[in-house]
Amino acid sequence: MSLHAFAARHRRSLLLAPALIFLAVFFVMPLFDNSLRSFTAEEGGFTLARYAAFLTDRFYLGVIVETVVLSAAVAAISVVIAYPVAYVLVRKSGRFSGAIIFMLIAPLLTSIIMRTFGWQVLFARRGLVNQWLVQDLGLLDAPLRWLNTPGLAIAALVHVLVPFAVLSIASVLQGVDRRLEEGALMLGASRWRAFREVTLPLTMDGIGTGAILVFMIANGSFVTLVLLGGGFQTLPLLIYQQFNTTRDFALASTMSTILLVIAVGCLWLQLRLVRRQGV
Amino acid sequence: MKLNRRHFLGASAATGLAGLSGLPLRAQANTLNVTAYGGVWEQAIRDCFVAPFEAKTGATATVSLGGPAQWLAQVEANPENPPLDVLIMTPDLAVIAAEGDLMDEFTVEKLPNLADIPQEFTDACLGKGTYFDYGVGGITYNKQYVSEPPKGFAEFVERVSNGEFIASVPSISYGPTPVFFLWAMNNALGGTVDNVDPFFEAMAKMKDNLVFWAGPNDFFNHLASGEADLGIYFDGRTWNHVDEGVNWIDFINPEEGGAMTTVAVQKPKHASDLAWDYINEMLDPANQSKFADILNYGVTNKKVQYSEKLAARVPAMSDALLPPYAEIARVRNGWVDRWNREIGM
Repeated sequence: MSLHAFAARHRRSLLLAPALIFLAVFFVMPLFDNSLRSFTAEEGGFTLARYAAFLTDRFYLGVIVETVVLSAAVAAISVVIAYPVAYVLVRKSGRFSGAIIFMLIAPLLTSIIMRTFGWQVLFARRGLVNQWLVQDLGLLDAPLRWLNTPGLAIAALVHVLVPFAVLSIASVLQGVDRRLEEGALMLGASRWRAFREVTLPLTMDGIGTGAILVFMIANGSFVTLVLLGGGFQTLPLLIYQQFNTTRDFALASTMSTILLVIAVGCLWLQLRLVRRQGV
Repeated sequence: MKLNRRHFLGASAATGLAGLSGLPLRAQANTLNVTAYGGVWEQAIRDCFVAPFEAKTGATATVSLGGPAQWLAQVEANPENPPLDVLIMTPDLAVIAAEGDLMDEFTVEKLPNLADIPQEFTDACLGKGTYFDYGVGGITYNKQYVSEPPKGFAEFVERVSNGEFIASVPSISYGPTPVFFLWAMNNALGGTVDNVDPFFEAMAKMKDNLVFWAGPNDFFNHLASGEADLGIYFDGRTWNHVDEGVNWIDFINPEEGGAMTTVAVQKPKHASDLAWDYINEMLDPANQSKFADILNYGVTNKKVQYSEKLAARVPAMSDALLPPYAEIARVRNGWVDRWNREIGM
């Protein structure tokens, strides 16, 4: 077979090759090597000891639960906030849709560190919010301690991640045939019932995708939690600590692999949801 | 063939290198790859050490930015052909690197300026490195809200516990925390390397009035935004803020003695021999004096003459406690684990 014929026959594979090689060398292999480290005993050979120790320690189990619960809470709140925004964006914004999309994406163009420091400045003990509440409005006698509280850490994460949920839901909402809702209304359904029984089920895929996307990003979020604390102890914080403070790379690899399994589990869940919806 | 990590890494590296064919594996023989922290540190390294090194040797020094944990990992990954020739290290990592037989021995024959560095600083690196710069961990406070600052760690604990102040202290995710905060405060409160109960009891008493900083800039934000009134920080960084025009900040070296927070320099085995010329410049009194002026930290060459401003700021070496880094390295991971379980952040 000539080179020309070979290229013509395998054109699709050849076009994919650069991306696949890049992913294999810089993504799959490092991940595989990282996981391998967690299964390698100090003296060599295979071991599950680190996983056994990690998964039978109440403290570390608590860290896993805290990581998952925090991510789930952020995902749920993000979706609840994102749905009305996506609805307005698709159905009501008209010629302002471009401006709304820009406003949604604009915060993502700012460094996450700067945005997190912004939260610190606003909600510090002598920050702007406490100044309003105590001095300007006289609603409180003493300033509140907002920083290092779970509520503020969740709020900051939601602030960062809501755009992802909005865009996921909006893209699905865009594809919903409005004649179906109009049909429901013509058959006597109220607007709320038409939304609840027609629009909402048809956009479940967007909700699922947005929630899982937010969940996975929150699952690996680091900067916001390290700066705003909130008392959360999550896997990414402990992984960083193993590299930066204790240099226990094997334990860090174990935690990374567990985090990876959680993320892959979420992807699997997403695929199942999508298939069940028949999209 | 059994696939182990070494085979796997070798295959990965070979695949990667296949795509990089034509590029040199190492820099040229007359090029040195040295290390620096970012920001003002980098500029100080370039001005005070790289420039005289290049002028004297005609060689070139490239500066890699990052942190000691990352640099040490790079050397550990390829000890036969280290990608870095000179490492700036935290004292505990310097001990780990020396114990791992990854670093070359420092001698006066190779480094004439080493003769003027206190021997204890080279001994602290097990002879395979030395300290060239030091600061002290102590109490930095906002003068607008703290008119009478605590004089030492014990008073700090008592007054923060009483709710008189909100204090910003380093979190355990910050690498130097186990030494410059945990060890120093524990030592001041009567603890030892093998008994850190005094520290954890003090933290339990203060917990309602603490916030944690993850990095030095974070600490400054806590003070500037009014979240905290005072906290545990470094002298040099405090003076840098003062020199930038921040007139409400001040520093106290605790009366019990703050931990001497040093910066070590090391040369990986198999690194370029030009590294000796560069390190000798780092230990040179004139270069160190200039470096100290820029960074507001003490330097270790006994012949250094500080400017008047700096002389008033830099604590004498005898006024700071040199932590037992090798002993701490032995128990540090246990401290971190206990911190995670009892304190959290």
